[in-house]
Amino acid sequence: MSKPILVLDNVCMYFGGLKAVDNLSFTVNEGEIVGLIGPNGAGKTTVFNCITQFYKEYTGDIYFINNDVKKDLRDIKVTEIINQGLVRTFQNVELIPDLSILDNLLIGAHNQYETGIISHILRTKKAREEEQVLKEKAYEILKFLNIFELKDFYVKGQPYGVMKKIEIARTLMSNPKMIILDEPAAGLNDRETDELENLIYEIKKKFNTTILLIEHDMGFVMNICDRIVAINFGKFLAMDTPKNIQKNKDVQEAYLGSDA
Amino acid sequence: MKILNQIENFFGTLSKRLTKHPIVPFLIFGFVIASIGFLPHTGFIRWGTMGIYAYIVIFTVVAMGLNLLLGFSGLISLGTAGFVGAGALGLGVFMNMGIPFEIAALLVLIIAGSIGALIGLFSLKVEGIYLAIATLFVGEILRQIYTQVEIFGGQAIRIGTVRFLGFINLSMINQTQRSFLFLIITILMVLMMIIMHNIVKSKTGRALMAISRSQHAAQAMGISLLKYRLTAFILATLFATFGGIMYGLYFQNVPTTAWTLDLSLFVIAMVVVGGLKSIYGTFLGVFIIHGVPNLWLKNVFGDISYIFSGILIILVIIFYPYGFIYIWYDLKKIYFKYKARWSKKKVTDHE
Ligand SMILES: Nc1ncnc2c1ncn2[C@@H]1O[C@H](COP(=O)(O)OP(=O)(O)OP(=O)(O)O)[C@@H](O)[C@H]1O
Ligand SMILES: [Mg+2]
Repeated sequence: MSKPILVLDNVCMYFGGLKAVDNLSFTVNEGEIVGLIGPNGAGKTTVFNCITQFYKEYTGDIYFINNDVKKDLRDIKVTEIINQGLVRTFQNVELIPDLSILDNLLIGAHNQYETGIISHILRTKKAREEEQVLKEKAYEILKFLNIFELKDFYVKGQPYGVMKKIEIARTLMSNPKMIILDEPAAGLNDRETDELENLIYEIKKKFNTTILLIEHDMGFVMNICDRIVAINFGKFLAMDTPKNIQKNKDVQEAYLGSDA
Repeated sequence: MKILNQIENFFGTLSKRLTKHPIVPFLIFGFVIASIGFLPHTGFIRWGTMGIYAYIVIFTVVAMGLNLLLGFSGLISLGTAGFVGAGALGLGVFMNMGIPFEIAALLVLIIAGSIGALIGLFSLKVEGIYLAIATLFVGEILRQIYTQVEIFGGQAIRIGTVRFLGFINLSMINQTQRSFLFLIITILMVLMMIIMHNIVKSKTGRALMAISRSQHAAQAMGISLLKYRLTAFILATLFATFGGIMYGLYFQNVPTTAWTLDLSLFVIAMVVVGGLKSIYGTFLGVFIIHGVPNLWLKNVFGDISYIFSGILIILVIIFYPYGFIYIWYDLKKIYFKYKARWSKKKVTDHE
């Protein structure tokens, strides 16, 4: 049943003398929701940056398996990662503030355009139709996330909760096989966090994706994840079901200090 | 009856479609501007001021190109004047070799576009202030070439009567023909406005904004910084060169010494004062920076009228950092606010 989709094999990443990721190995299976947890500065975001090839200087290997084709992600350019079916969000929301929400979503479909700049300048029939198809796809996603009415507003000035949603919506534009979310619930209030919890379930079902997420909100992680990877100082601590992770001595120590 | 209804429906949807079509406002705008070219015949404006209006039309195209760089892509160029000069002087050189206007224009665009691509490649290696300095030197090198190299021939290149589309002779010296030249450059400006509009509303426009607003998001969404920085520089260069070609076409006598850093800075001022990311704002900026001092203030204040531009730029930076066109949006907001309040009042009055 469990088919691996993402494999990290002995990944190390240094910043000067600092070992931000230290010999990390774990596997995410297709259709899972996996949480990546660890105290501040544990190296979680760095792991994401290695997976999505923002950093290329890591040692070890990262593989992505899509339709039984196993690819070493290091061979793939950062701008090509999305074409593999792997797409991410950022810890500090990265949106285009002075574009409408709809246009921000269309950026997520950038690589799906077949028409080029000349057809756009001439507004050929094919170009207009293509744009329309992608717009409709965006509408559907926006409706799914309950932010359709806001589609023509600028991102700038939207509440934080909405921005977090837009970033997720943008990932969905690319027909992803796997989405990786860096602290999707950070800065959300309790009601919004609950909504997000449901949303992530729904996304997994409706879009048939695998999800890997970083999150500090333990309640959230425990509720939503099938399995959890815990790291500290870049090192692997444990990977297990939420229940077992809670009981794990190493994890407790990392969070509560060694005297716990 | 049925047929009448159908006809009514047809015209109803037609007019709705026409008024909603994005290029209609540009056409109306162009129509208004083009009429300026025929006003001197009626005595409303003096023949002597037509050159100023033509300059505004031409530099609207140039400044739109810079707006693609500055407003959309967050990049800067201090070499704009060099490319306007390339367009105008290049056109002159080729036409004096006996090459027809349209082909000469195409050649100039291809050459200048390639240079733009080179700068784009270079821009990947340098950022911010260093990029500004690099483009400054490109502009300076071009300026030196125009004033020193023999083929550009001293003070100015005379183009003279242009044979347009191979059968209409248009000379700047003849007043009627000058009106038609003005009409042609206005049409070209509207064409470039529509092109600009279509670019910025397309995948390309969004990508340009993505690379300047968030490199991380751009890369994660598959937008190559290389490709779009190149695109931005090539487009800006093509717009500037196209403006130069319009200059050659209209004025038919191109000075070799006019393409200085000063001019490049004025183009930046036009974009900043008028409106970053706005097409009409660009026109407004050109009008404020070039039109207002030359049409009105110079008669009163003489050369110090450029102090006016300086003060304006400072005011804009303080109050409207995205340009004067945004006053319009604020006015619109106020209007809608009052309208909403007024209609609410009416409702409560009824109660
Ligand atoms: N670009 C960088 N250059 C140098 N050091 C870095 C860089 N990015 C991260 N680090 C360091 O690497 C370590 C891991 O950082 P990382 O951002 O991956 O942590 P994190 O687990 O995501 O933390 P948080 O929960 O606060 O987001 C930290 O000590 C951080 O200071
Ligand atoms: Mg982090």
